[in-house]
Amino acid sequence: MNKNTPPPSKTKKHLTLVDILLYGAVLLFILYAVYRVNDVLVYHWNWSKVLGFLVKFDEETQSWASNLLLQGLWTTLRLALWATVLATAFGIIMGYWRTCKNLTLRIISRTYVELIRNMPPVVFIFIFYFFVSSQIFPALGIEDIDTNGAFASSAMFHFMFGDPQLFSNFLAGMICLALFEGAYITEIVRAGIQSTEKGQWEAARAIGLSPFNVLRDIVIPQAVRKILPPLAGQFITLIKDSAIISLISIQELTFVATEVAATTTRVFETWILVGFMYFLLCYSFALLFAHLERRAKRSQR
Amino acid sequence: MTISKIFKTLTLATLLTLSGNAAADLLTDIQKSGVMKVGMATFVPWAMRDKDGELIGFEIDVATKLAEDLGVEVQFVPTAWSGIIPALLAKKFDLIIGGMSITPQRNLTVNFTEPYAHSGQQMAASTQLSKGFDSIDDFNQSSVTIACRRGATPCKAAQKLFPKATVLRFDDDAQAFQEVVNGNAHGMISSAPKPRFWSEAHPDKVFLPFGSENLTRGDEAFALRKGDHDALNFFSNWITINTSNGWLDETHAYWFQDQSAWKDMVAPN
Repeated sequence: MNKNTPPPSKTKKHLTLVDILLYGAVLLFILYAVYRVNDVLVYHWNWSKVLGFLVKFDEETQSWASNLLLQGLWTTLRLALWATVLATAFGIIMGYWRTCKNLTLRIISRTYVELIRNMPPVVFIFIFYFFVSSQIFPALGIEDIDTNGAFASSAMFHFMFGDPQLFSNFLAGMICLALFEGAYITEIVRAGIQSTEKGQWEAARAIGLSPFNVLRDIVIPQAVRKILPPLAGQFITLIKDSAIISLISIQELTFVATEVAATTTRVFETWILVGFMYFLLCYSFALLFAHLERRAKRSQR
Repeated sequence: MTISKIFKTLTLATLLTLSGNAAADLLTDIQKSGVMKVGMATFVPWAMRDKDGELIGFEIDVATKLAEDLGVEVQFVPTAWSGIIPALLAKKFDLIIGGMSITPQRNLTVNFTEPYAHSGQQMAASTQLSKGFDSIDDFNQSSVTIACRRGATPCKAAQKLFPKATVLRFDDDAQAFQEVVNGNAHGMISSAPKPRFWSEAHPDKVFLPFGSENLTRGDEAFALRKGDHDALNFFSNWITINTSNGWLDETHAYWFQDQSAWKDMVAPN
């Protein structure tokens, strides 16, 4: 933190009368809205059908197992984790290229960022899915992986990538998301690298460090500290953005929710439940990252 | 630009890129890999999820028997309806067994087998808004709103039958149906027998203005990529055989006539 900023004023810990009145008014408004919705909306709420798609009792193993919606949630989580790893890799390479002296590298990375940031995600995902994945995947032989092979049928594979039969589907979704979010991470990384003052570069070069050493010993340690919080935020954004790839039939939470809604005809219950599941997932990550950030700050002192 | 427009543009472009490929031998490929990949979309009672999240339905039975007769495993690829033809062209699966009606437009892009089912469109109407409506003219008025699922046959039927009415398009049938229950639309058009099932489930909210008679008749067939006539011949003859021996009719009747036979399998009430 900059030394010149004044110390932050104390945050209020107690509610005043005005606050309580305001909260009361908001609560009343919400209750009125709920009442109106129930009045206008002729709808018999029936949660049991939809909730049944969270867990099921497996007769064979005599144990509870996750049903469609929870399976979708795990797929979303797997997708988000792997896509973040991949997107971070893209982001670091491209972000570094963005700050390079080499013009070609700068053009490549700038084109990547601008192309993706100035296109609606849906359009990008369609283009990628129907052109790129249908041309590249068969060439790489990914469609033909042996789903009964030792690795593919192992519990480890299932834990990391889900059902091996859906692997190419999973991979397409993951690469789509990673390419998309990678552009945003590129900008985060670039900002992180460029936030190191030019003087430090010059000083480090002056004492004879090679550009690689400057990067490793001076720039990256400072950049990483600055990059991590926005990166965590981007991870949460990625979880939410992953809903878009339901349009290309990746079997994640939003896609299975459309199936559950179609099967049960319980549209509102399904989407309210799914919205709540997304919220729980994203908010718990937000809390986790806030906790880690606080701990990192404490250890810096 | 709507999503369906994007899809149409992409479909054409994909076609152009894929048309260079030599004629494929689908049957040999399926038998070599031992798996027949079937593209489908969830649609009661063609394909739906049972309590354990497994796929069941008319189409699932058809595809399973087809794979059995071919001596291979069947793998279902649930696909968003609006993207199912582009996904077929992009070889995400071998064929569509998805209750797809034959239309000349679709046929320009894909090949169709003989029809394996004949569905029709039915209308469910709001008891409150459409009280006493029982003819096409009652609904063909500018004050009338009809809901349907976009990108599918029902919306076309709605526009053709009720050109004066306002047509509201939704992503799926359940949303279109909800508009009727909520009193925001006079009626909704969907493939039989869903409107009938709905009117049975909510007799106080919706009714069938034209009885269980269908407004239109559709011919559902398997859809294949263009260029493989051997596969087309095989699948068409498979349908002919199973129409003659009564298996298709019998299975169709099980899923379409009375939902009490399978209703308990679908979801706990």
